[in-house]
Amino acid sequence: MPSESRMTECNPFVEIATALFLEDLATKVGVAGLNNYLVSLAKNLANTMPREEYASWPELMGALVSGQSILATFEDVQPVTERCMTTVRSPFDRGWREYAKRVGSFAPVHKEVAEYYNAKVRPTAVTSVHIVLHTFRETAAARIRVAGKGLRYETIATAWVDGQVILPPAERLDGLLSRAGISKTKLGMLLRNHADVWILEPE
Amino acid sequence: MLDVALASLIEDMIEKAGADGVVEFWQRVGDALASRMGKEAYLGWTSFNVAVREGRTAFSIEGDVTPLTDMAITDVDGDVVGYLYAMKQCCYVPTIFRTRYATGRMSPADQTVMDEYNQNVHNIAVCNFCVFHERFREEIAKNVTVSGNPLLSYLLATRGWSGETKISSKNVAMININEEHVRALLRNYECVYALVMRGARLKGGR
Repeated sequence: MPSESRMTECNPFVEIATALFLEDLATKVGVAGLNNYLVSLAKNLANTMPREEYASWPELMGALVSGQSILATFEDVQPVTERCMTTVRSPFDRGWREYAKRVGSFAPVHKEVAEYYNAKVRPTAVTSVHIVLHTFRETAAARIRVAGKGLRYETIATAWVDGQVILPPAERLDGLLSRAGISKTKLGMLLRNHADVWILEPE
Repeated sequence: MLDVALASLIEDMIEKAGADGVVEFWQRVGDALASRMGKEAYLGWTSFNVAVREGRTAFSIEGDVTPLTDMAITDVDGDVVGYLYAMKQCCYVPTIFRTRYATGRMSPADQTVMDEYNQNVHNIAVCNFCVFHERFREEIAKNVTVSGNPLLSYLLATRGWSGETKISSKNVAMININEEHVRALLRNYECVYALVMRGARLKGGR
């Protein structure tokens, strides 16, 4: 696939400004309000993208790997099994590093809103940006059909730049790993240097 | 990804707070970011301009900034009190195209916020991000001293992704630089601004 199919990188200053924008918003609407904004903006973003249809699962996998699917717009997706997908590098990694270098430590509200999301929605976010990422993937997956069937997304694990990992509760993890077709050991191997491990499966 | 999501957020916020509300939001964010950047001091213009070229100043957070050292700004006595600075690429242009190729369209919110700013604040914006970083530069300039003098920032000229150009007549007059010289810079740069010592008696000053 030609390199033009990949998105150009943004100026990380825009990501820093966006992070500050969210911090300012949180002072007005609180942590719960910020969570609602993040969920809403991710849904809006995914819903502005065209729907997709694929004739077969291998065709979808090809579109993900080549960056042609909406699910691969912002991240390089690498399938590990038919159902288990990985993202090597978080799409927020660059912005976070630039923020840390130029501005300083992230404002606590980014973690606070993730804790709120983990308690109220699902336990998959290390920081605020994961609310955007997970909601975006879930909404985007719902816009894709493979061989006439809908597509379902679920997160297995998220690892942040600082090494913090969030996993679902133990009682759910085994089921997710079974659906993904990987073992706990394999998950541990992936989390050493991958940002996200997730599932795509037909409905 | 956060940058493209920002376009969706701004569309949402225009519905809730209006375009004027988004302009206020952006300006407050510019203040907030500048307040977290800390203070800087330079012995003179030479050391400041070297720091800009090497990406060491607070202004460098925006990307690569070129100090145009052949375009000094002088006061009424002919002393150098500032220089022009320019960016080859607007910070926001990659995001505009990322939004276009992620969603299949340009974000209408960008134009709405830009128009609001141009009509009611300063007719210089070529995208919504100009609202934020004009204020950001004005605020960080206060925290940077050259030879003991804090700075003032004047946004002079901008060129948008579609080729549209804007020149701030009032700011160009303030620093007493020929508008055609500034226009010529837009052939190679997308954002041109001046940094001058606060309190300098500029030839075009009021």
